[in-house]
Amino acid sequence: MELTKYLPLTETTYYILLSLLEPAHGYIMMQKVEQLSNQKVKIAAGTMYGAIENLLKQQLIQAVESTDKRRKTYVITEKGKDVLQLDCERMKHIVNVTEKLLSPIGGIEDV
Amino acid sequence: MYRLKFFIDFEKEEQWLNQMAKNGYHLQSTSFGYHFQRGKAENAIIKIDFRKFKKKEDFIDYCTLFEDSGWKHLAGTKNSGIQYFQKVDSSYEDDIFSDAYSKASRYKRYANTFFELAISFIPLLIVFYLTDIIDPKALINPKELYLTPGLWAKTGTSFWFSFLFETPFALMRGIAWSFIPVTIILYLFFGYKSNKLYLQNRE
Repeated sequence: MELTKYLPLTETTYYILLSLLEPAHGYIMMQKVEQLSNQKVKIAAGTMYGAIENLLKQQLIQAVESTDKRRKTYVITEKGKDVLQLDCERMKHIVNVTEKLLSPIGGIEDV
Repeated sequence: MYRLKFFIDFEKEEQWLNQMAKNGYHLQSTSFGYHFQRGKAENAIIKIDFRKFKKKEDFIDYCTLFEDSGWKHLAGTKNSGIQYFQKVDSSYEDDIFSDAYSKASRYKRYANTFFELAISFIPLLIVFYLTDIIDPKALINPKELYLTPGLWAKTGTSFWFSFLFETPFALMRGIAWSFIPVTIILYLFFGYKSNKLYLQNRE
């Protein structure tokens, strides 16, 4: 299965996937994303609903049984975890190469 | 109070509803037009989403997500498509969308609904054509639409009386079916307008 077609994830999608490492419903996900991103990423209800729908379609998350009749609960799938891992590797490389080139010690003149 | 109005542009509809609330008219329901209840003037923030739901649980889950995050579901049903929300908790942001793409996507879903409606009328058009209710020949020779025996042989007052008497019926026979193509064209036009708003707003 070609997972690279999902990359790069948007910041919103990335945090949503991270927020579902444990099962949660939409509102918990909104709060978790806000917390994980140091209040930088705030997802509104309409956007969150659409994002959940897309991620379900892409099978990166799945619905799980819940005791709450009014709120659906979701969790990340194995495929979702793989995509998250791949995107993390991609960003790590970007961070490494950027630090190497921009930092004062191993600076530009050394390269 | 009742108002009959129709919008394609949700932003304009939102502004109108906010203005109505400012004048003391609060949206109650939206079955074929808008029903308002007179009350106190209010600086309301009303936002619109467009979604239809297959299952009742999906609709409840959707409304609950909005309620959890400070938006009261004002009007709209499982199948109505247009969903109205009013902000009730000032500690949240002022919009139900946090990015341009998801905000524009509601126009895409709106447009698709119009296109589906347009397509759903096509079988009716075919059936009407096959059963000769739609008769293109009548457009070339409208005389065929008059069924009074010997009408065209009559003269003077007798002719004009019979002719004018039957004309409304002839028109009904001849052009009543045209509401179908007119409806299809109207739906296609609304779909086109809505899709244009989608393309403009998605960045």
